[in-house]
Amino acid sequence: MRRVLVMVGSDLRQQVLDRSIFIFGLAVPLALMWVFSLIFAPLSEDLEPITVAVSGPADDPLTATLEDTLAGLDDTVDVTVVEADAADVPGLLEDGEVGAGVVVPDGFSAALAAGDAPQVQMRLPESPGLEGEVVTAVVDGVLHQFTTTARTAAAAEELGGQPQQVDALLAEDAASGPPVRWAQGETADEQLSARESIVAGQAGFFLLFTVGFGVLGLVVEREWGTLARLLSMPIPSWWVPLSKGVSSWVLGVLATGVLLVAGSLLFDDVHLGSPAVIAVLLLAVVAAATSIMFVIAKVARTAEQAGVAQTIVAITLGMSGGAFFRVSSQGVLGDVLQLNPVTALGRGLGITAGGGGVVDLAPVLLAMGVMCVVMTTLAVLVPGRRDVL
Amino acid sequence: MTTPVLQVEGLRRSFGPATVVDGVSLRIDPGETVGLLGPNGAGKTTTISMIAGLLRPDDGSVVIQGVDMGAEPLAAKRHLGLVPQDLAIYPELSARSNLSFFGRLQGMRGADLRRRVAEVLEVVGLTDRATGASKTFSGGMKRRLNIAIGLLHEPRLLILDEPTVGVDPQSRNAILESVEALSGEGMAVLYTTHYMEEAERLCDRIGIIDGGQIIAEGTRDELVELTGGADTVTLVGEGPLDEVEAAVAGIPAVREVRRVAGEGRLVMVVQGAPQAISAIVATATGAGMTLRDVETSRPDLESVFLHLTGKALRD
Repeated sequence: MRRVLVMVGSDLRQQVLDRSIFIFGLAVPLALMWVFSLIFAPLSEDLEPITVAVSGPADDPLTATLEDTLAGLDDTVDVTVVEADAADVPGLLEDGEVGAGVVVPDGFSAALAAGDAPQVQMRLPESPGLEGEVVTAVVDGVLHQFTTTARTAAAAEELGGQPQQVDALLAEDAASGPPVRWAQGETADEQLSARESIVAGQAGFFLLFTVGFGVLGLVVEREWGTLARLLSMPIPSWWVPLSKGVSSWVLGVLATGVLLVAGSLLFDDVHLGSPAVIAVLLLAVVAAATSIMFVIAKVARTAEQAGVAQTIVAITLGMSGGAFFRVSSQGVLGDVLQLNPVTALGRGLGITAGGGGVVDLAPVLLAMGVMCVVMTTLAVLVPGRRDVL
Repeated sequence: MTTPVLQVEGLRRSFGPATVVDGVSLRIDPGETVGLLGPNGAGKTTTISMIAGLLRPDDGSVVIQGVDMGAEPLAAKRHLGLVPQDLAIYPELSARSNLSFFGRLQGMRGADLRRRVAEVLEVVGLTDRATGASKTFSGGMKRRLNIAIGLLHEPRLLILDEPTVGVDPQSRNAILESVEALSGEGMAVLYTTHYMEEAERLCDRIGIIDGGQIIAEGTRDELVELTGGADTVTLVGEGPLDEVEAAVAGIPAVREVRRVAGEGRLVMVVQGAPQAISAIVATATGAGMTLRDVETSRPDLESVFLHLTGKALRD
């Protein structure tokens, strides 16, 4: 196996002499990270403070609960609740004095208790922003909770309870405090901030180019004739793709590691977690990305074809993996996307950023292991050049 | 009896429905240079790929220095040096680094490797360019480095696949001199080419290959004998060459006549050219050919190939 290391060493040396790895593996992704950070991060980072006008009947317990809930969102968005008349709310919104308005009708609690469906108006400006969306979601959640409690109480009354008991249930619900609570993410929440997502996404996207420098060299060496020469050497033929795979893997780990470190240092508020745990994540993700390149090397007849195929694969996996914008998929598609190295890197870094360890990464590492096996098997089975694969 | 360095028996290989190599057998003894002469597409490179273990034959066997390539490929490859038709070198690396890399893959290391690298650089005349990136070399220098890599581990069998393609005359001569020196040192050489001058100059024996089969094999003189001592006459010019071809074919002394594709050239195998040349020229001009040149030569491998296949080597 010493001769595998000889091939890996020579390959890495040529990559360094060629310098392309520095351009496409480091300089370009760092520049794009910086540009994306300028464009996207300010739009989606910290939420602006918002003033919400609430119009409701005086001394109505459920209205008071709604106001308390909104005012208690300070950890996420700084909400100031002001009381206003229903007729004034549109004007306040139009003047920009408030960012959202909630109009609770008179007799709201009584109507709910009676099983009616009182209408609460949620008023927003034309462009409510993320803050308005958050307030809307919270109001919706609170009303849903009220409705559920009222229906439960009504059902209990039908089964023999007293109307006073219904009122007591609603009063208890109102007194139990805000029904919607917000809290900072904990371990394995798999959530990254906008800037962290940009760093992770770009690192994952360009990883799919970096790993091509080793494995796709098989296609180039076919054209040069050096592959024929290597295969005429007294070494097992499978050592040649193995050495290319190791080269890709080393380049991928180094380049992606540097990108993550540089991203953490260059941008504020990027905290990706324990370097040791991230290293474990990188080893698995880069191995999976490398295995994809073997399929391309098998089917591509020329270096140009390999380059085009690599770009298509990188863009497809980058976009579906959230390299440019967040993507959420559920069901079978969501499960399949977990095999995408770009998705896995973002998900894994979300875990490490939340303080997760190697055990928390187990599903991601397993997915990357599955990806390696699937792609390597595919590379062997797919029709194409049969000289080394 | 001497143990052959290379013994090939009944080599056969098809790609889909096309049989590219069809029953090739070959033997090369120590110190012998054997040429495979044939036009492009004759099956030379496929034959060499199977001999070098790059391609698995559908049938037949390859034994190098007594080791069966099919059964023990790694052991067989230790006796083999391959110089592919492509420039199989790493352009970013220097000549010395290229040689050191392939030397290590051959299992060489340390002082032994350094000594051999210096020796082969000397043999191919690249000592003073040992450290520069090989991408800066001329075509001829790259070809010489390509050969040096094949020689590095002192193989018993050196396979050269069209090593002078695209090389200037000066470099070509240097390459041919190197090959002559190697066979003088006892190395067995298998040399493929479609240049008959190279085959005539270098090879102790020549196998003429066409359509995947060796259609004749022997020394140059033995092969020329096959033509019955006929000369070659070549007419170069313009005109209705189909009609001219038909006209000269009717001359009793003309045994074979063939147009070289894409060129205004008719190649003929002629019995007694000095006596027949005036009749040939008169017939050709009478048929409307405007002659620019007339060449006559003693029997050579070109006329052998024409005699055996009805085709010119450059077809």
